Amino acid sequence: MYEIIEGFVEAIRLIVTLDPDVMAIAARSVIISLTATVLATLFAVPLGAAIYFGTFRGRKGLINLIQTLYALPTVVVGLLIFLLISRVGPFGSLRLLFTPTAMVIAQTVLILPIMTGLTISALSGVDPVLRDTLRSLGATRLQFLVNIMKEARFAILAAVAIGFGRAISEVGAAILVGGNIMASSFASSTRVLTTAISLETSMGNISESIALGIVLLIIALGVNLAITTVQHR
Amino acid sequence: MQRRTLFAVAAVMVALLLICGCTGTTSDPTPAEKQQLRIATTTSLYDTKLLERLTPIFEEEYNAEVLIVSAGTGKAIEYGQRGDVDVLMVHDRVREDAFLADGYGVNRRVFAYNYFVIVGPESDPAGIKGMQPEAAFTAIREKGMAGTPGVVFVSRGDNSGTHSKEKAIWKGAGFNYSADVQGSGDWYQEAGTGMGATLEMANEKQAYTLSDIGTYLAYKGDLDLVTLVDEGDILLNIYCAMQINPAKYPDINSTVAKDWVNFMISDDVQKEIASFGVDQYGRPLFYAAQDDWEKIGVPQAEVKDPIA
Amino acid sequence: MIEFEDVSKRFDDKAVLAGVTGRVEQGEIFAVIGPSGAGKSTLLRLVDLLDTPTGGAIRIDGTDIHADKGQSLSIRRMMGMVFQKPAVFNTTVAENIAVGLRFRAADERAIREKVEDALEIVGLAGYGERRARTLSGGEMQRVALARAMVIEPEVLLMDEPTANLDPVSVEKIEDLVIRINRDLGTTIVFSTHDMYQGQRLAHRIGVLMDGAFAQVGTPREVFTLPASRNVARFVGIENVVDGVVVAAEDGMSAVDIGSARIRTRSPFSRGERVSLCIRSEDIRIAPAIRGRRVFDGNILPGTVTSVVPRGPFSRVTVDCGFPLSSVLSWKAVEDLDLREGSQVTASFTAASVHVVRAGED
Repeated sequence: MYEIIEGFVEAIRLIVTLDPDVMAIAARSVIISLTATVLATLFAVPLGAAIYFGTFRGRKGLINLIQTLYALPTVVVGLLIFLLISRVGPFGSLRLLFTPTAMVIAQTVLILPIMTGLTISALSGVDPVLRDTLRSLGATRLQFLVNIMKEARFAILAAVAIGFGRAISEVGAAILVGGNIMASSFASSTRVLTTAISLETSMGNISESIALGIVLLIIALGVNLAITTVQHR
Repeated sequence: MQRRTLFAVAAVMVALLLICGCTGTTSDPTPAEKQQLRIATTTSLYDTKLLERLTPIFEEEYNAEVLIVSAGTGKAIEYGQRGDVDVLMVHDRVREDAFLADGYGVNRRVFAYNYFVIVGPESDPAGIKGMQPEAAFTAIREKGMAGTPGVVFVSRGDNSGTHSKEKAIWKGAGFNYSADVQGSGDWYQEAGTGMGATLEMANEKQAYTLSDIGTYLAYKGDLDLVTLVDEGDILLNIYCAMQINPAKYPDINSTVAKDWVNFMISDDVQKEIASFGVDQYGRPLFYAAQDDWEKIGVPQAEVKDPIA
Repeated sequence: MIEFEDVSKRFDDKAVLAGVTGRVEQGEIFAVIGPSGAGKSTLLRLVDLLDTPTGGAIRIDGTDIHADKGQSLSIRRMMGMVFQKPAVFNTTVAENIAVGLRFRAADERAIREKVEDALEIVGLAGYGERRARTLSGGEMQRVALARAMVIEPEVLLMDEPTANLDPVSVEKIEDLVIRINRDLGTTIVFSTHDMYQGQRLAHRIGVLMDGAFAQVGTPREVFTLPASRNVARFVGIENVVDGVVVAAEDGMSAVDIGSARIRTRSPFSRGERVSLCIRSEDIRIAPAIRGRRVFDGNILPGTVTSVVPRGPFSRVTVDCGFPLSSVLSWKAVEDLDLREGSQVTASFTAASVHVVRAGED
């Protein structure tokens, strides 16, 4: 118990004094996961829309598959990406292993299914009467798509937030393809909040772990708050 | 409203990209000239912060950026075999020999050594204090199998160098590791993690474990475990650095890799290693290998001769 | 203007429409009434091209609207539709109303003006910048009406537009329907399960039953001269009894209903099976002792079986060998001292009996 209190006190000190190491790790986490989220959004939203509006064989099966992949274990994604980008893997010549880029790729792959699935859910959640209304008002196919997406925008935004939350909080893939490197330059380092927590805990630096954990929570809270604010405007 | 939302999102993204961009440029002014050196290291060299001390010196001297992936020796060797790193820093002579023989590694140089220690609770329920390592292991197993309260051994269980050493001791004591030790009872538990974490775990359980002295000393302040066995030839722990074979992976950074290996056996670094930790722990965590090649039984060339 | 020719629609194995035939004239308000599940919504959706019929054709000004998919958009853009459930887009009221105009690439000034006008007409002036989701159901439905109205459709389709609304909102919407039709000449087709709404608004009514029009006519025709037993039931005629014509002469006939003979005016001949429809308002109740013979009429003795309050009236059911129900004011019930078991006579004229051919049901 004493350890936890002590950890909290130290954590607050590290945060209040904007400890450069902690801030750098937090900033890196946000940048990597945000990039992954933006990339995943660029794929997932059009993909989700295509699946939702599309009529093709195996559509139901595909949606089931996507929903199954929600639970994709992060280490499995990490392993997959590792094998692909490792020097002897098919994309080894790009030398991506142990770089922030690799982490972005892994996190993008990781959150793609849930964001695609939630995009489909978001679009399905649009009131069918509104769909009929759009058609009855003489919407062209494109106007119809655009307006349904517009109507689902907050639900899609929530999907993006959930994707970001999953990306920034995962550790398995980050450590496998990132390697938890603390280099002298910000851009070469791959230590993010989760991998740092894992390392600090294994080294017995509980207060640093708690501080990093609190920072992670603050970021998650901030994102949720921002989303809620936008949704309630 | 719609436009305002989009604008807000866009603004946040731009802001973050700016942060990203600024941080990237300020801390890395000459990215084009800097060579990157990727090292896979055993956890003990990382957890003791020895590398943290040495890398800035190297980066300054060679205008390089050192990227260190800390993993057990087994995983580090795996990274080496796949060509994902330029340099390996490990401590398992037997597997190193195989790695070199298979042509994955070249130019091994030994830069430090120390000793493994068997640590455990002060109460020493298995009564191993002062024993030879093999005898101590035999005693722990016997008491453990008999269900003596408090006798637990936590193993790294991760194919690391330390784990290899542990297996070697079991073998030396006359046991078949997989048949007689692994899974033989609740007394034997595999952590599957790094040295530091394993020590933390042994401390929680008040159990015995095998540790390199460096990591043990670095963690000692947080631990209630004491050194019970620290003598015996089998406890010798030899650290080396080697290049990944550029013939196998032509595009790895062989020049900087060579620089690093030579740097590790340079006089300055050897002095640094010999004194590392003295001010904090009252004794060094590692011994410099430079002049002790006979004592530790490695060829002179491996400690003295820089790579050409 | 809109012609239905033997229109049918199946969903999987369920036939919802089975041979709808009829016409909606230019500029009229046409009500499709019928019980729930009769296919009213489906019929309107077919007109708006939201569904495709499985058989038959719907023509607007002679063109089969489902024939050429390439024309769907331009045909649909002639029409506006309001749905049963009030639904608005998650944006401002003004933007909601502007949606259809934006689809037609109207310029901003025209949109602003039309939206302002529409808000005025539907009684929501000043609501333009509100978030549509914060409105009440009745207000939302008026937004939906304004949204369909601003695109100036030739045909306005409304699928049970007041089904879930409070009475005040219903009245407002009904006023608007009448005004839109009167002021803009818009042809309006609406569906309702409320026959009185049909009566209040429509120039003509189509009674949709079991997937087809059982009757099409003016409200007066439908309410006083229902074409079948079922229509009679649906338009609120409580007394419907079956019988056989036993005598017919000069437009008068006698119908044997088993327990009595009823005199009616009808063109049916001897031996035909018919149903008699008698509005409860047309039945008079008098004390048994003071019963007097009325020329051309029917007088049936009976026993009161129930007196049930119904709004400002009471419904009195008399067993005259068959149940016959009548509507009396409370005062009349009191004056006559009617209660269960009272002996009375029920009387009605031959002219108040509407005779239809008995259905197969």
